[in-house]
Amino acid sequence: MAMALDERFFEKFGVEYAPNEIIFCEWEPGNEFYFIQSGNVRIVKFIQNREKNLSVLTDGDVFGEMAILEEQPRSATAIAMDHVKLLKFHRDNFDTLMSGNPQLAYKLLVIFSKRIYDAKRRLMILLLEEPQLKVMDVLVMLAEQDPHLDLQNEISLQVTAQDVARWAGLTEDDAQKELTHLGRTDKIEMFGDKIVVRKIREFQRLVASRRKSMYQ
Amino acid sequence: MSNGAGGPSGIITRTYKSGSIIYFEGDKSEYIYILKAGKVFLTTIKLDTGEEYKEEVRQGEFFGVKSALGKYPREDTAQTMGNTTVLVLTPADFERLVLKNANVVKKMLRVFSNQLRRIVKMERSVLGETEIVNPDAELFKIGEYYYKMGVEKHAQYAYKRYMEYYPDGEHASLAMKRVRAIDAGEPAPPDIGGHDTGPAAAPPKQAAGEADFSFDEPDQSKDMIDFDDSAHEDEAPAKGSSASSSSLSSEMDDFFADTKNPGLDDLGIDDAAASNSPRELNESAEASFAKGNFSMALDLYQKIISLNKTTGPDEKKLYEKAHFDAGRCYMEMGKPKEALDFMSKVLRNFTGSPYVKAAIFHIGMIFESVSQKEKAITYYNKVLNMSPKDKLNSDALTKIKHLQGK
Repeated sequence: MAMALDERFFEKFGVEYAPNEIIFCEWEPGNEFYFIQSGNVRIVKFIQNREKNLSVLTDGDVFGEMAILEEQPRSATAIAMDHVKLLKFHRDNFDTLMSGNPQLAYKLLVIFSKRIYDAKRRLMILLLEEPQLKVMDVLVMLAEQDPHLDLQNEISLQVTAQDVARWAGLTEDDAQKELTHLGRTDKIEMFGDKIVVRKIREFQRLVASRRKSMYQ
Repeated sequence: MSNGAGGPSGIITRTYKSGSIIYFEGDKSEYIYILKAGKVFLTTIKLDTGEEYKEEVRQGEFFGVKSALGKYPREDTAQTMGNTTVLVLTPADFERLVLKNANVVKKMLRVFSNQLRRIVKMERSVLGETEIVNPDAELFKIGEYYYKMGVEKHAQYAYKRYMEYYPDGEHASLAMKRVRAIDAGEPAPPDIGGHDTGPAAAPPKQAAGEADFSFDEPDQSKDMIDFDDSAHEDEAPAKGSSASSSSLSSEMDDFFADTKNPGLDDLGIDDAAASNSPRELNESAEASFAKGNFSMALDLYQKIISLNKTTGPDEKKLYEKAHFDAGRCYMEMGKPKEALDFMSKVLRNFTGSPYVKAAIFHIGMIFESVSQKEKAITYYNKVLNMSPKDKLNSDALTKIKHLQGK
């Protein structure tokens, strides 16, 4: 990791976790954010009473950064996967910390750029009016997020009806109803943990034109 | 447009004629620009209203930063007005440049984090997430889940955190029981709540005297705090199998005695914590509150409460005040449930205290904040009828009129 941090810095902010140790738990108050010096951290969330993996983070990654912005309970759980060395920073030290560590500040700038876009993208889905379009746009968003997909052809998205409901801000029943409808007209095909979309470009166009006309 | 050979570090300078487009909304590009001379306007479509929104870039300012760093399509269109010169940076150039100037990054970070906060807030409000989830109940549920799944270590973590953050929470005694059971190597009981903390996993009712508050039930008289009975009910022994709250808290003290109190050191308030008299703690707490640092103020008020000094009249007053102000901290932090808990303690435990009236008023505010109009009015009405008449009475009247006017 290129970050130039002197010893004293680690002495002051360094924390270590053993494999499989919880770093913080969803719903507990969060006042600190973390920078991974070495090791891997699993981010999980409880959805419908099941533990669901959201991502795996590694050297140089930052997590818990929403604590910088607001006093909200943690929205996910962070678990050490191996021996993990972290730097742990309290919200109140944020300004001092950023002045002394432009490298870390830059890292956060990149993360916030992504988060802003992701949040805006999710909001765009929620602002659509018809449930059908919301569901389509969730699929479009997920397709856009995966750079390996060829959007000209049939694509397969790793997503469940529950996930779709969550992104679309719909109840599971409503999301299921819309998905079933799309399935009946053979626009999509549903499997347990994935959804195959025949022509995602078509959804993209439809959502874009409806979004445009929404305000006219 | 002409490509000039670069500046000092190979950075490219470009010149555009008036009306040129530097990039379109939807373009994918990793370049970041600095306006050197001329004018650039950024045009975006507002998410919620669909309105077009134009913003002028000032000379020396960056643009195109977010989409380049976040690696997503441009969200705006950049167009020049008059002959215009810009510097074109790759993210690597940009990184090198800003690392030399911490203030630039800091300033951008502030702008970005404000944007992010605003969008996340908007998202929550569209999702209707104003309804109250109880973090405490959810945290406990996670413990139950892990225990049931046989991941004792994780269960232990969740239960211990629960006890640390919500020592008076409704699952506190059960959480402690679970921690002990896990320490003793007992497997999860078969009736442990997996899908929710249903009747089987629900803890026995709180010690007698705990008012039953609820935000979601329709207005019922049992939600009201019974002012007159509070004193003697407080001394009544606990019913059922649960420990009374006082013995529970002393057990908890034992429990945490061997571990250092987390939170305080980490919060970097060693100095404040070092001065241990309620008076000094109160001063620090008030300063933190005034600065808007509610979590720190809350920690300090809770410290006063845990000192439990009530012998002198001053100490007694500070002890009562700490409960009231802890409630105010929670209100500021957007945690109505916890706030309500503290305000109701003031009513229940400090009959005749000068803080009772203000606490009732604040309970009205809490219910108002969660759109429980009827309950809010009931509490404001209580204040209205209390004597001596002071500003709170007239404030209560204003509140009632306001709520009924809607």
